[in-house]
Amino acid sequence: MKDTLILSLENVRSYYAKGNYYVKAVDGVSFNIFKGEVVGIVGESGSGKSTLSNVMIMNIKKPLNFIEGKVILNVGANFLELNTLPRQELQKIIWGRETSIVPQSAMNALMPTKKIRDFISDLVKDHFERALNEEEIIERAKQRFTDVGLSPNDIYRYPFELSGGMRQRAVIAMATLLNPRLLICDEPTSALDVANQKLVLKTLEQLRKREIVESIVFITHDIATVRQIATRMVVMYAGKIVENSPVEDIIKDPLHPYSRGLLLSVVTPEPEIKKRGISFIPGTPPDLANPPIGCRFHPRCPYKMDICEKEEPPLKKVDTNREVACFLFNK
Amino acid sequence: MWKAMIRPLFKSPKFIVGMTIFLLIVLMAIFGPILYPKDPTSFAGMPEQPPSKEYPLGTDTYGGDLLAKVLNGTRSSLYVGFLVAIISMSIGLLVGIFSAMKGGIVDELLMSFTNIVLTIPSILLAILIASYLRIRSLEVIAVILGILSWPWFARAIRAQLMSLINREYVYLSRLAGYGDFRLAIEDLIPAIATYTFMAFILFINGGILGEAGLSLIGLGPTKGVTLGVVLQWAVLMEAVRRGLWWWFIPPGLVIVLLTSSLLIITTAMDEVFNPKLRER
Amino acid sequence: MPKTALKPFLKYVGRRFFFLILTYFVAITIIFILPRAIPGNPLSQLLSRIAVQGAANPETISNVQKSLMEEFGVGKPIIVQYLSFLGRLFRGDLGTSINFYPKKCLDVLAPFIPWTLFLLIPATLTAWIIGNTLGAVAGNKRGTWMDNLVLNTSLVISQIPYYWLGMLLIYTFSVKLGIFPTQGGYAQGLLPSFSFKFITSVLYHYVLPFLSIVIAAIGGWAIGTRLLVIYELDADYTIFAVNLGMRDRTVFKYVFRNILLPQITGLALNLGSALGGALITELIFNYPGTGYILFRALSTLDYPLIQAIFVILIVAIYFANFIVDFVYAIVDPRIRLGQGEGS
Repeated sequence: MKDTLILSLENVRSYYAKGNYYVKAVDGVSFNIFKGEVVGIVGESGSGKSTLSNVMIMNIKKPLNFIEGKVILNVGANFLELNTLPRQELQKIIWGRETSIVPQSAMNALMPTKKIRDFISDLVKDHFERALNEEEIIERAKQRFTDVGLSPNDIYRYPFELSGGMRQRAVIAMATLLNPRLLICDEPTSALDVANQKLVLKTLEQLRKREIVESIVFITHDIATVRQIATRMVVMYAGKIVENSPVEDIIKDPLHPYSRGLLLSVVTPEPEIKKRGISFIPGTPPDLANPPIGCRFHPRCPYKMDICEKEEPPLKKVDTNREVACFLFNK
Repeated sequence: MWKAMIRPLFKSPKFIVGMTIFLLIVLMAIFGPILYPKDPTSFAGMPEQPPSKEYPLGTDTYGGDLLAKVLNGTRSSLYVGFLVAIISMSIGLLVGIFSAMKGGIVDELLMSFTNIVLTIPSILLAILIASYLRIRSLEVIAVILGILSWPWFARAIRAQLMSLINREYVYLSRLAGYGDFRLAIEDLIPAIATYTFMAFILFINGGILGEAGLSLIGLGPTKGVTLGVVLQWAVLMEAVRRGLWWWFIPPGLVIVLLTSSLLIITTAMDEVFNPKLRER
Repeated sequence: MPKTALKPFLKYVGRRFFFLILTYFVAITIIFILPRAIPGNPLSQLLSRIAVQGAANPETISNVQKSLMEEFGVGKPIIVQYLSFLGRLFRGDLGTSINFYPKKCLDVLAPFIPWTLFLLIPATLTAWIIGNTLGAVAGNKRGTWMDNLVLNTSLVISQIPYYWLGMLLIYTFSVKLGIFPTQGGYAQGLLPSFSFKFITSVLYHYVLPFLSIVIAAIGGWAIGTRLLVIYELDADYTIFAVNLGMRDRTVFKYVFRNILLPQITGLALNLGSALGGALITELIFNYPGTGYILFRALSTLDYPLIQAIFVILIVAIYFANFIVDFVYAIVDPRIRLGQGEGS
């Protein structure tokens, strides 16, 4: 079979506990990521997409709770059900080695008062029982720094000695140092200027092409970026996946009304801007503590039907490789 | 909106404990001297009597009634604390807001001034000023302490406002033609309101403790009884070494209860309002 | 240290030095202006009081008066007074004490200052170390019983004034239990020397004042550090490190390292109030430090001596501040290599 499964989420629910109620940030999410794919996860802020990045590596920290579901990761020899592993195990053999997250704000993502080289040696010590040669990893780090367009000697510097764009690339180099199978990028370009954005996207593509990482998940609210890099797009709304389609298909013909709205230009307005009466998509994202009954998009949906207020549309296959959760396509 | 802000506070056990203790002491300060109307400055009783029916907290060397002193002292100490807080908060807000909104050279000068005042040890300066004043009313003490304790607050307010001003919505408001004043009223003041309230409470603490410190070295108010003055006389008359515990324990205990209850209140507020500290 | 790395370091240290000198200058000026600006001019009151007392011992009194008149520059224009005041300070002349006439203020003070340093510095550092450790551990275990215990005790303990804690300690351990001496810096009748007897007596008398400062100061540090740890555990670099699979222990080490840096600055800012507290604590314990002599100067209105005490104490605090800045600049690579955030 051509498609090797890398990560699989099966009906995952993960909620934030707030006093006596839950905020349902990830609510019944299922999708697969295959080898070689670059999956763009798109949604407004508050759609649960950033929480999803933590859930994918099972970094569940209070107040986030893992409610149910399965998170299955390909670790080469076999598949591991991450949600059954204890935290120490995840830290030691999964995080950094099999999965890695490039964070949203790379500016401050590196330990500020240590040289990068010393950070690397701590990283190695925490993952391997002295068996592995640290020098080997240092050499690899130098190589990786060169790969992302930095000087190999930059590993002997402190993060603050690097510029913003350089730091972003250093973070990517560090995140991929132990050759993780799955690289998750959480808005890695949102803080960068256009030139650096392009550079970062190119770097990521290179890493995948050379199979240093096997798949990339790209979390963003910026459709333009997804268009450039992703092979598949997953649209999230209010803690649920509303559409999951190859990029070309969804751009040509978005199925879910929300995908359509997103693709018709739209960035996420900040609440303060709304206060001033400047609004973009009609309506606001729902309160995840108390989402609407039925389809969560129905209060904002121009194609709303009676059934949408009563029942939740399941995510269903409508084409060989397209899924959508909408009653318009669910006859 | 107020309801939404206040309700979560009453779910915090810390806030409830702190508030209860604080309110009890305030009630004691307000109604104590009325319900127990003995003159704190009269020397009527037997000297150095331990607590008894007639003198619930005993008497001092001059036969003064210590319960009356503590009740009146709490009232004066709180009064000083509030005055200090009002003075420091006003100066701090003025300097902080002005600095943040004007920017440029005004900001630079104000902040250098603030840093200098911050670096000058305020307690020492307070002692020095007080030493030159022959007559010190409660208000004078409060002014001395108040004009020295605002700098950290001014800096914090400026920093908060600076980060707000750079946000998009403030920028939009400026584009929409909002003047400095309207901007301050509609956007900026609500944003710093809780922080200011918490600082106000900490200033009360500083005022109460500062007054007690000044009093202990003999530079407290020359008229009236505060908790610090009661402690000062206990020290002068060697109450500690002579085992007259009823003289120095109650006033100190009231100070500690008062200031720690206020600190507990601010901590609880911080936990409720500060998103980074919000309890799970 | 490579050659190029020295420059930003010197620049930072130089800037801090300049700032402290400037601030010290302001403080000195305030000390000069205060007695002259306060309504009722306490200075002239003092002089007339001495003149009235003149009957008792005409010769000494008139000498005191003369030296005072000269040192305060009575009758000369204010700017001349100011310049001569600065000039004398610059030469290390802090004036003549009234009470201990004809002794110079500096000579009066000299034997008391070491006692204060001996009490304040070890106590402050001990409290700083214990408080930071407790706070860091509590912040790291946020929400557990241990965190609650540390936080709630700290909230109360940090509000106990040093001196009141001192009173409680004297009452409990000296008066009731008789374990420690009730007052003083050493046993009465002993002469200061480096004999074994004297040193043990000093240490024996040291315990309670030391403890009252340490205990009362721990809480404040613990609360501050706990908050910093909680913030840092949520910082971008922490999250990145965790997601890379770093062990919790390593991450905590990082966090601890990074919060110690601002807490070093906190130490500098806190010195003034720590000193104020220590002075009053000395008074409670009749400890032979600066607080004791300050109290005597205050109660006899020996203004030259009071002024001298403040000139010295503020110098001491700024000197300590500078040392802290220096240490900070060495410890924090951001400043060492020229990314300093200034003051």
